[in-house]
Amino acid sequence: MITATAGMPVGDTATGLPRLLPRGGQPEGWHAHTARHGRLPYRGHAGDLIPELSAAGLTGRGGAAFPVGRKLSAVLDAARSRRRAAVVIANGAESEPASDKDATLLWLAPHLVLDGLQLAAEAVGAEAAILYTHANRRRDVGQRLRQAIAERAAAGADRIAVELAEAPPRFLSGQETALVSHLSGGPAIPTFIPPRVTERGLGGDPTLVQNVETLAHLALIARHGPGWFRQVGTEAEPGSMLCTIRRADGTPRITEVPLGMPLRGLIAGPDGQGLLSARAVLIGGYHGSWVPAAEAMGLTLDNHSLAAVGARVGAGILITPPPDRCGLIETAAAVRYLALESAGQCGPCLNGLPRIAAALTEIAVGRQRRQTQGDVERWAGLVTGRGACHHPDGTARFVRSALLTFADEVELHKQGRCSGTSKKPYLPIPRDSARTEEDWI
Amino acid sequence: MSGINSSTALWYASRATGVVALLLITAVVLLGLLVTRQGRLPGLPRFAVTGLHRNLSLIAVVFVALHVLTAVADGYVDIPLTAAVVPLASPYERLWLGLGAVSLDLTIAVIVTSLLRRHLSRRLWRGVHLLAYLSWPVAWLHSITASKDLQHGWLFLLAVACAAVVVIAVVWRLAAAARDVPRAERVGHLMSVMHSRHRMPERTGRP
Repeated sequence: MITATAGMPVGDTATGLPRLLPRGGQPEGWHAHTARHGRLPYRGHAGDLIPELSAAGLTGRGGAAFPVGRKLSAVLDAARSRRRAAVVIANGAESEPASDKDATLLWLAPHLVLDGLQLAAEAVGAEAAILYTHANRRRDVGQRLRQAIAERAAAGADRIAVELAEAPPRFLSGQETALVSHLSGGPAIPTFIPPRVTERGLGGDPTLVQNVETLAHLALIARHGPGWFRQVGTEAEPGSMLCTIRRADGTPRITEVPLGMPLRGLIAGPDGQGLLSARAVLIGGYHGSWVPAAEAMGLTLDNHSLAAVGARVGAGILITPPPDRCGLIETAAAVRYLALESAGQCGPCLNGLPRIAAALTEIAVGRQRRQTQGDVERWAGLVTGRGACHHPDGTARFVRSALLTFADEVELHKQGRCSGTSKKPYLPIPRDSARTEEDWI
Repeated sequence: MSGINSSTALWYASRATGVVALLLITAVVLLGLLVTRQGRLPGLPRFAVTGLHRNLSLIAVVFVALHVLTAVADGYVDIPLTAAVVPLASPYERLWLGLGAVSLDLTIAVIVTSLLRRHLSRRLWRGVHLLAYLSWPVAWLHSITASKDLQHGWLFLLAVACAAVVVIAVVWRLAAAARDVPRAERVGHLMSVMHSRHRMPERTGRP
């Protein structure tokens, strides 16, 4: 396991990890980048890279794990059949408040992402490339990227110009159709599918949207080949991924791990303290699932293993709150945030999420009525699959897993008691919510 | 008033289909207003209201066509077929039949764009569809001016009633739209209502 604690990754020669983040944890400039990875291996012809990506089995690292080769083929086919040049968008709008892996990657290794963006653009024959990120969260990523683009211009590395775009600070702004809507000058709200953005995206052009980490992997597969990529990970889910791990102290640690790695080691931490204290693990962030720690210990970090408990790897977020926090209070606060981040355009989400959040608050503060829990279950079922995007689905999954995992705690709350002893909020939750349409643009 | 015979049948048919067409387009406009507010009719699911709006509009077109064709076919007054679509082309009641032609042209535009809707952008379709709000008053004016039938008695009351319900429905539509909560504020609005009962102050609350 390779850990970048506060930007200090350590090497592991056995697995060759980390592949993406520079060892030493210092932001990598153009020279350090080319010294580590070499120059961009352009293929010289659209489509040539795609079979290699399919052979590598690379999937999207933004959470949905869609096969990258297939997405690129779809965009290339659409571009050819409609005789329109494609657009490539690197999605660095990491809106999940608990995640920090994309921002860390962009901060430490921006050139790897920009390499991937150029190579993906070549692969689908794109004539425009955009890098879409949130504004400064803790670091000035935008400034870092402008500097990196200037370095590349001086070195003559890029074949097409890269435009930087800023995502509004909304939970949904990184959602594919919301992103296209925002870049088209509208609010960052999801739109109905079809049309898929791979067919008709930005300005009606076939549009490839890839997470920034996915592009970084793509840049390395282009250099080292599919066989190298498959040296780590499982047969079905090869490669490595960046994870954001938060243990009892709440500090995010960005770690690059092979898929299929036992969760035990990730939860335990270097000193093994996590094993003793953890009661439950939140896998996949606020659209993810709570899993009892005892169950999580026997699982591995891949969708095949996590499916057994109804969880998914998602964007690689693993959170183990300290034992003095109440899982219900923490979940209620996060669900309240998710409800406030509903775009307010689909009825089930608009009407359902605030109700679910209110009911969870009732449970969390020990004021639940006889029907409250039944209502939550019913509403969770009613909102699932009924939005333009998966916001209601992900929220419902999160809520259901909390009621299941913290069932004992729910009983305790019914009696007016709570096992949480600390009043300090643990899960990171942004303070601001949208008030006007401007906040979505 | 003379009775119906072979020489007046077409004339009466034209007037009768005209009245029915007015009732139908009034119903279509009312249903359209209801659809824009996602309203329901008792006992009907929401999609059925939209379906009724569409199908009634097509039936209305049939009645308008009958109304026009019988008027043209009737030989007592000289109305050329072109007068159906070209305003002021009829020597008989030039201005009032012209209103009918204008209304029919607008209706054709609305119907054709709706039939081709899947090939058009939403903005274009909607822009043309809004012409219905112009088409209906013009048709109504045509109804009460082109013939004396609707100027007195029960049919006059019927025409006034049609105008009244359309005006009321439009006012209701505008008032409802004015009460709408903007999209970005909807969730906050609901949250403040929903969460006023149980606050979780500063997330510190232990039960």
